[in-house]
Amino acid sequence: MDLALQLLFTGIGIGSVYALVALGFVLIFRATNVVNFAQGEFSMLAAFMMVVFTLKLGLPYWLAFIMALVGMAAVGAVFNLAVYYPLRHRTYLPVIISTIGASIFLANGMLALHGPEPEVLEGWFETPGFLVGPVYVDSQYLLIIGVTAILVVLQYWFFEHTLLGKKLQATSQDKEMAALLGIPVAAMIMVTFVYSAVIGGIAGILVAPVLFVSIGMGAAIALKAFAATIIGGFGDVTGAIIGGLALGVIETFGAAYISVPYKDGFAFLVLIAFLIFRPRGIFGERVAEKA
Amino acid sequence: MLLTRRGFTTAVAGTIAAPALIRSAFAQGATVKFGMVMPMTGAAAESGSFAQTGAKLALEQVNKAGGVLGKPVELIFEDDQTTNPGAVLAFSKLASQPDIVAFLGSIRSTQMHAMAPDMLKVGKPVGFGGTDPNLTKLNNPWLFRFRPNDSYSGKVIAQFGSKELGKKKWAIVHSTDAFGTAGGKALADSLADNGATLALDQGYANQSQDFTPVVLAVRQSGADILGTYFTFETDLGIFARQLRQLGVTIPWVGSPSIVNISALKLAGPALYNTYGVADYAEDSSDASKAFGKAYRDVRKVAPDNQSSWTFDAVTCLALAMNKAGSTEPAKVREAMLAIRGHKGAEGEYNFDKNGDGLHGYNIVKNDKGEIRFDKRLDFTPNLG
Repeated sequence: MDLALQLLFTGIGIGSVYALVALGFVLIFRATNVVNFAQGEFSMLAAFMMVVFTLKLGLPYWLAFIMALVGMAAVGAVFNLAVYYPLRHRTYLPVIISTIGASIFLANGMLALHGPEPEVLEGWFETPGFLVGPVYVDSQYLLIIGVTAILVVLQYWFFEHTLLGKKLQATSQDKEMAALLGIPVAAMIMVTFVYSAVIGGIAGILVAPVLFVSIGMGAAIALKAFAATIIGGFGDVTGAIIGGLALGVIETFGAAYISVPYKDGFAFLVLIAFLIFRPRGIFGERVAEKA
Repeated sequence: MLLTRRGFTTAVAGTIAAPALIRSAFAQGATVKFGMVMPMTGAAAESGSFAQTGAKLALEQVNKAGGVLGKPVELIFEDDQTTNPGAVLAFSKLASQPDIVAFLGSIRSTQMHAMAPDMLKVGKPVGFGGTDPNLTKLNNPWLFRFRPNDSYSGKVIAQFGSKELGKKKWAIVHSTDAFGTAGGKALADSLADNGATLALDQGYANQSQDFTPVVLAVRQSGADILGTYFTFETDLGIFARQLRQLGVTIPWVGSPSIVNISALKLAGPALYNTYGVADYAEDSSDASKAFGKAYRDVRKVAPDNQSSWTFDAVTCLALAMNKAGSTEPAKVREAMLAIRGHKGAEGEYNFDKNGDGLHGYNIVKNDKGEIRFDKRLDFTPNLG
């Protein structure tokens, strides 16, 4: 029982990381109908910004955090203008290839700027964790779970109860109709890219104290987050969260009770099962519904 | 201008022959070229930069001493992207340059296995650092290892943990790549000879984001000592932190990655009081100290095995070529196998018939982040 509880906490913790990155995937998919394969690199960039601001410039953690998020907002805006906007009238394929290219560019650009050395970023708390009965609760994972929960609520409220959120949804569902209704489509897409870059950045900064800051950190998380997005249902915020958490828990329990070396295999087995038996995911809408 | 038949024939012949003539001219060029496959990108890019520094330091010393056959040595680098396909591609790029007379392969056994068939076809000496014992048993006469193989590390870890530390119930954690699997097996095979037993043999996939299931398996196994073979320092860092957080405090003796500079930086206090077998230990010999000083002058940090093996490989290949009086592969191979008592940064080189140059390991301890040399355990090789 103790073992199961420990695994459950860890699974939810790592699953929350996947969920946070998956949120970024979902946001951009909802606005543009394409998958942004550079979403993981947003996390990596933000983590490196934190390293520069805290370790190299010696700024306080909270100030570095705010500056990193401002930096990520700028990255999101530039990303939209350079990677998506020029191809906005093309089919989804060139845009996806463009995001893959951007992902490679960002990873190698950071490699050229910073070098290959992984960095250690301290967490928010001085105490790394504490025991609750037999379960070790990692402070950073606890923070990740809390932030994920808050962002889910905020995101739900934003999309369902604000005018801007509804405009974004309208843009996602039918750009031409949205434009006819007077919604500034280009501005809505810009807002989406900025917001998803910030969300990706938050995920990177939160996970950095656990997984370290390295060039490859974004790609490793993004792959699982992408799987989580498919499992949850592409385009659905709740689905991304449930998919991420489910993936984290399944792979942690699978590793503990069946086989550690095949840990990633369990995650992708679930993904394959969904692609075969329920390709629209847990909460994904039918194509007909969207049309 | 009219094109005569003779003129046309001459032009065609010239066009066909030009690349070969240019290659030949380059082959007899002003420098002796060594090709080096190394990670410049990917998960091991940092260790690749260490390896490059080690090779460049050796290059500087070799060239200062007159180079090879009176010509300066030049290094040509290719990025293996820290992947097997990347390594194969990098080697094939280097192998297509006929003026390269010898190569430095990878410190990763899995990449060496991937490149080994091409290395056999190319038929030129290759120095490498991968420690899977099988690599020098592939009937590939061109492979020369510049680190002790894991049959030695397994013996040393088992002997030190069981006899010196007095622990008999082992948990072994290893990556499931060629290096980790071979290392874990070598350690497991050595336990019985030291009166110890295996409580857990746990593999893991590289680039894991979480080691909780592994740590809990170690805790539940009831082992009183831990032996590890980790491939990537980031994995080792995450594992070390989670091991301590989940309350596992049994003695830990690890393969060389446990004392790598990156691992020490990432894991910090989680690695304090652990032991490691290290092919490079700065205080183990005068040659090691001299290398350490030269490396610190350039990088401003302590060296580790990522750089020491490339330093020794460049030095030994140059030495063999000068002794052979030629860069012809067969003669260089003969001279390599004849190297006896050469004092390198990693230890004393005596190549056996398989191409293994080193036959022992240093034991070191992590003393609050400082790596302290404890002792060196050498085994008598069959130099037949």
